[in-house]
Amino acid sequence: MASKHYNYDKSHAWFDRACKVIPSGLYGHQGPAEGCWIPPTSWPFFTEKAQGSYFWDVDGNKFIDYMCAYGPNVLGYNDPDVDAAAMEQAKLENCVTTPSTKIVEFAELMVDTVASADWAFFMKNGNDTTQGAIMCARAHTHRKKIIFVNGFYHGVSMWTQKVDYPGVIPEDVANNLYVDWNDYEALEKLVNENEGEIAAFISTPYMHGNFVDNVLPADGYWQKVRKLCTEKGIVLIVDDVRAGFRLDVAGSDHYYGFEADMICFCKALANGWNVSCLCGKEFLKSAMSGLSYTGSYWMSAVPFAAGIACINKMKALDTPKMFREKGLMLTDGLKAAAANNGFHMVVSGEPSLFYLRLADDDSLLIHQDWVQEMVHRGIYLTSHHNHFINASLTEEDIKRTIEVAEDAFHAIRPKYQ
Amino acid sequence: MANMTLTDAKTLAYINMYAVLGTLENLCELDPQARALLKNKKPLSIGMIVKGGPSATLTFKNGYCRMSDGVDKCDILLPFGSCEKFNGMIDGTVTPIPCKGFTHIGFLLKSFIPLTDLLSKYMRPDPKDLEDERFFEISTSLMFYTITVALSQIGNNDEIGKFSADHIVDGDIKVAISGGPAATIRVCNHRMITIKKNPENYRAIMEFTSIKLARDLFDGNVNAVACIGQGSIIMGGMISMVDNVNRILDRVALYLA
Repeated sequence: MASKHYNYDKSHAWFDRACKVIPSGLYGHQGPAEGCWIPPTSWPFFTEKAQGSYFWDVDGNKFIDYMCAYGPNVLGYNDPDVDAAAMEQAKLENCVTTPSTKIVEFAELMVDTVASADWAFFMKNGNDTTQGAIMCARAHTHRKKIIFVNGFYHGVSMWTQKVDYPGVIPEDVANNLYVDWNDYEALEKLVNENEGEIAAFISTPYMHGNFVDNVLPADGYWQKVRKLCTEKGIVLIVDDVRAGFRLDVAGSDHYYGFEADMICFCKALANGWNVSCLCGKEFLKSAMSGLSYTGSYWMSAVPFAAGIACINKMKALDTPKMFREKGLMLTDGLKAAAANNGFHMVVSGEPSLFYLRLADDDSLLIHQDWVQEMVHRGIYLTSHHNHFINASLTEEDIKRTIEVAEDAFHAIRPKYQ
Repeated sequence: MANMTLTDAKTLAYINMYAVLGTLENLCELDPQARALLKNKKPLSIGMIVKGGPSATLTFKNGYCRMSDGVDKCDILLPFGSCEKFNGMIDGTVTPIPCKGFTHIGFLLKSFIPLTDLLSKYMRPDPKDLEDERFFEISTSLMFYTITVALSQIGNNDEIGKFSADHIVDGDIKVAISGGPAATIRVCNHRMITIKKNPENYRAIMEFTSIKLARDLFDGNVNAVACIGQGSIIMGGMISMVDNVNRILDRVALYLA
């Protein structure tokens, strides 16, 4: 079935208005530059409504959404159980001088759910959790240096950025050390060269960086890292903001068979309701207690109620297993569609957060062309970021996606073959 | 590591040599006035050696100019004891003294200096001059070449620029103004070189859709990220290459200010 080619007139008119009053019109990962909308004219800029696995843009175009709001949509947009819990709490209270007991219930649920957790500390964004974890590690160890894995993304605080980023000064990143992913020997060497100076090693559970094929941990890698950190008194922080709950509701460290000292959650925690959470080991509880670290909305009760409902539903559905199966079904179909049309699709990372790359040129121009043809036909992908599976995605959605993929490959084929 | 707001004399010397004086090549191609200054002159070359910095030779022949790396044979040789001294010549605070070619002093005074004055007129234009369409085109094209060459010099020499270059994979990046000048930024082992023509093949592209837009960007009136969203800068291919080139571009303004 041939796909309709979408028109975005209203979206673009709204963007023109946005550019007059908002720096760059739309900023960050949900904007055209950082979001790598190549070309921007192929993407919708604004949505009007969302439900389940779909959203509709302001021009009325419907999309099957594989970005899931860059992760938060884990059960489906407007999930009835999560939203009912949030609405029920909203009738009682939300942001009040003294917090609701929901914070205690949510913390208890996190400690019971996350294998490595002895405590839970709630905030709003993923960046709040990584920032809190680094502060806690420094407070506990009284050391300055942090080891990062090259290609990392841990938020937008100045210490998480690079020395050449606008607004960042060398002093902001002076205590950052870098090592390649999966290179245990290099990590050990770096640790030995900075004996007694390293507060923390921070890493995502696997390398799900942008612009490159995603890489899973080598056999035994995490176990060796865990041992090294323990021996050297280095706090091991897992940034599970992106992958959290999509591999394992007990945490991605549990999935890969080790225990982090602290683990950061955000995106899938409350199905789009605004809350993030840092979990940690007992020995760090005192240091965390001592931080001057808080925010105006950090103890709002509505997202806590949503988070409790979301976690309980993910457990009941065994969503990680479901995500893996759906991810494999989809990516196998996409690889076959590519092959049917003489292209070579590389799928990397975990199936629930699959990363796509067409490997038919070294510039990625063919890949970008195919992605924009998909978006123009109602399948929302991004060019160089991993994608996300959510629980409401149906087999029909997957079949439709593969049909559209065939169409999109047909459309680009004459240009490249 | 250098303070982000500071520039270093060595990087500036490389920029002054290849990006500023190197743009004399394009000035002679674009402006008949420049060629007129060289009319009926015998071919002549000026070598410049900067201690602890760059060395290059400018050759003037048939009304045109070419820059080549290093100094082999030349008619006039200008030695500079330091990068600061060389930079002083460019900003007009140091008068160079040749150690070879005294008989060609007339060329320095009557051709070379007027030529660099003409270049300055285009590079630091009077706003009124920019109202003339042809002047605007030449001025913006010369700025384009200066900036694209400066990009590579910063990527190779400036501490923060080198950090950006370390994150660029090998290959050619096309930087161009639609219907106007184009350049290739070639990256190999994190060293950068600018070739002032279109690449045959490229791994990434950054193209300004109009000369007016390019000018606004060079003058700091618009931001590249905003322009990408609005479609007035086209980007494609290996976006990480474009991204890191943009980070170096941020530093070009610091050096050329």
